[in-house]
Amino acid sequence: MKRTLLGIAGLFGFVVASVALFAVVFALVDLRENRSPRTISIGSKAFTESIVLAEVMAELIERKTDIRVIRRTNLGGTHIVFEALRAGEIDLYPEYTGTGLVAILKLSAQGDAERTFRSVSQEFSRRFALSWLAPMAFNNTYALAVTKRKSRELALERISDLTRHPGLVAGFASEFMAREDGYPGLIRRYGLELDARGMEAGLMYGAVATGEVDVISAYATDGRIDKFGLVVLEDDRGFFPPYHAAPLVRRETLEEFAEIAPALAVLAGKLTDAEMRRVNAAVDIGGRTPESVAAEIVARLLESEP
Amino acid sequence: MTETLAAVGIATLEHLELTALALVMAALIGVPLGAYLTRFRELSGPVLGLVGVFQTIPSLALLGLLIPVLGIGAKPALVALYLYALLPIVRNTFAGLDSIDPAVLDAARGMGMRERQILVRISLPLALPVVMGGIRTSTVMCVGLATLAALIGAGGLGRFIFRGISMVDSEQIMMGAVPAALLALLLDGLLGLLERRLLPRGVRRGS
Repeated sequence: MKRTLLGIAGLFGFVVASVALFAVVFALVDLRENRSPRTISIGSKAFTESIVLAEVMAELIERKTDIRVIRRTNLGGTHIVFEALRAGEIDLYPEYTGTGLVAILKLSAQGDAERTFRSVSQEFSRRFALSWLAPMAFNNTYALAVTKRKSRELALERISDLTRHPGLVAGFASEFMAREDGYPGLIRRYGLELDARGMEAGLMYGAVATGEVDVISAYATDGRIDKFGLVVLEDDRGFFPPYHAAPLVRRETLEEFAEIAPALAVLAGKLTDAEMRRVNAAVDIGGRTPESVAAEIVARLLESEP
Repeated sequence: MTETLAAVGIATLEHLELTALALVMAALIGVPLGAYLTRFRELSGPVLGLVGVFQTIPSLALLGLLIPVLGIGAKPALVALYLYALLPIVRNTFAGLDSIDPAVLDAARGMGMRERQILVRISLPLALPVVMGGIRTSTVMCVGLATLAALIGAGGLGRFIFRGISMVDSEQIMMGAVPAALLALLLDGLLGLLERRLLPRGVRRGS
């Protein structure tokens, strides 16, 4: 018995040694990533539109202020980016009002774009000390999409049409499968019976085009809707809240750098659905880099400025 | 073209750095831990079980859990890779040392060697192929897992893979996947060479 206790005590030695080893390595990592003053970092989620918007914001700040910007784009899903923002690892990222309302605050969809924006502004400020700056024009709502052929064959135009065909196979992005403004809420609102499967968002389009699945969860401004000849089903029961993108910023950052909010104000009410679809298509289909597309957007925005 | 190559090169270096650091740390802790367990055999079951628990946590979930504590970037990626690399190294070290013929150890004791001398001069060299087998398994696994580091801002070859998936562009996916596969083969080969060098002549098979 005494021997066993001795052995367990020795194991703690190994734990301590591991922690010490990591302390040394982390100190080295910090040394290398040493952040100079007047630097902020901008994050994004891991899909084209989010990356492009983050690049646009980064470029606007660099052009209009002397703040240095570190880009930490392409960071996985909402949970990862949002936690990074709260932890202060990034200072701002583009977020969607509907996502903030339903996925982060866990509230139910409520009213129009303005009301949604007011709710998230108040609640994020109160709960997380985060600020929403003015949103852009386009509404990148979730949408269910099917191929044109399937739409013709089964007479699918609205989401409620899906109730006539129980057992259709759905390929939904993993995040959509889990979110209250996604699959769980959707089937309740419409009484759908789908054979739903979670998959990586980028793989859905190929799967629906080849007929592996019948219906997918798409983004309304996604360039791939056109590329793969898909039709978006109308949300005839108004299930999805509005999803307008806006810079979500740490309050601390706004206080430290007063020039950030004015620099990003030029985005307010800009970029329509059609423009955003073209931008996304230029990257996803045209093979352009998010950086170059973002630079063009910024040039256009600054041109139109008085 | 050269720009693409440079980007792949940088990403490969980031990838190598993450993998190598995590593996060195896992070997520094894992091999002594495996040896320690042969002394306290009653602890080997619980400890191997505990180290094995990390393997059962899906890698992306583990990264997600580490973010509130360690933020994004290299730190959570290193911790996750280290935790995954530990099990094969500890288990193989333990198994390798454990399977040595007790008669050999008795003979060493009979020659007046101390326990520490026996471990360093007899047991470890005899168990070396099995120990190195564990390290090589961890290496190949870590090169693959490190692609997920891209999702938490730690860079590496996963960047091309995930960008390629979201852009439905298999060329981009290849730009990440092919160097990653080559890196795994290269590191495994290098460790194989090291193993041959470390193995004392008397123990080498077929020589």
